[in-house]
Amino acid sequence: MIDDRDELIERVARSLSPLPPNNSRAKAQILAAVRARRARAPRPWTVVLDWMRQPAFSVASAGLLAAAALAIGFVTRGALATLNEPQAPLASSAGATPANPNVTAIPAANTPAVVRAVPVPITFDSPGAKSVAIVGDFNDWDGTAAPLTRFGTNGPWTATVKVMPGRHLYAFMVDGKLVVDPRAPHARDLDYGTDASVLMVNTP
Amino acid sequence: MNEIDPSVPLRAKRGEEKAFIEIVDFYYPRCLRFARNMLSNDQDAEEAVQDAFVRVHHSFPRFREDARFDPWLFRILANRCRTLLSRGRRHRALIEYGEVPITAAAPEEEYGADWAEEVRVVLDTLPAEQREAFLLRHVEDLSYEDIAALTGVRLSALRMRVKRACDTLRARLTEVEQHDR
Repeated sequence: MIDDRDELIERVARSLSPLPPNNSRAKAQILAAVRARRARAPRPWTVVLDWMRQPAFSVASAGLLAAAALAIGFVTRGALATLNEPQAPLASSAGATPANPNVTAIPAANTPAVVRAVPVPITFDSPGAKSVAIVGDFNDWDGTAAPLTRFGTNGPWTATVKVMPGRHLYAFMVDGKLVVDPRAPHARDLDYGTDASVLMVNTP
Repeated sequence: MNEIDPSVPLRAKRGEEKAFIEIVDFYYPRCLRFARNMLSNDQDAEEAVQDAFVRVHHSFPRFREDARFDPWLFRILANRCRTLLSRGRRHRALIEYGEVPITAAAPEEEYGADWAEEVRVVLDTLPAEQREAFLLRHVEDLSYEDIAALTGVRLSALRMRVKRACDTLRARLTEVEQHDR
């Protein structure tokens, strides 16, 4: 008994002391959040390079980057007054919400001039699986691009993937077979004619 | 008191993810218990614990190698709980809306479900700083010195907070017991 406890305080303490049950999903989410935070803290000069490495980087995106550079040049020359037209956003996902509460889009660092990929923590339960990967339109459905790692010996599988803002289709590759995420809305993948899960990623 | 092997936080500080997973495995139940008792709401408690572990990981470079890990972790967690309490979100929602009691079944078997609920109701009426001091001392079994270090409060003030919490709990719960007889 602790020095300053009497019988009633002892009973109160014992009433409040039982530990909650083990929750491997919550622990996996912690690990995913840690990985996501680590992933979304790039050095400033790597932000644009990271963006250019994204699969969604295109000629149009390059044109936008060039336009942004030109705009900065005009501003520095005092030509701001002639540039009143707003710049079109790269992705129009304002107000979008993650389709799956367990696949939470985490805002990236503040980079208002550049839209870039957002680290998204992923968790998936598959106790008997030997290998799990997430595949989707954001990684060209490449089963080797984003393998998940198991949390502990029997815990959920986790990974953090970088995804551009917008609506995406994805699935899990479990021991070589495609499995949709049971906790996310499903949609028909028009390219392949099979069901896939839907992931909405907000603009940072 | 049950503490983790001191080499584990040091390995985590050096960036070893396996060591960080060991820390989460070891401390998650205790952290969640403290957060639930502080916040009386499962969702807030889980948010506080997740935030705390993310901050622990982020702050490892500032963790002194000669320091004990428990007080450092609980300082971060207590700060997260205070932040959520100050927002006043969902506090006491669990009791008010009659959801499943957040304590495990054991105390209810021992003392009855009514007792467990009364304890929680009275605990919720305590000022947050008294509740925090009481829980750290009597449920988490931290020493007054550790609590003083993690809260930044003087020992004498801390003892007074715990004493006032105990006095309130005694008075209210004795009243409840007499009423039930």
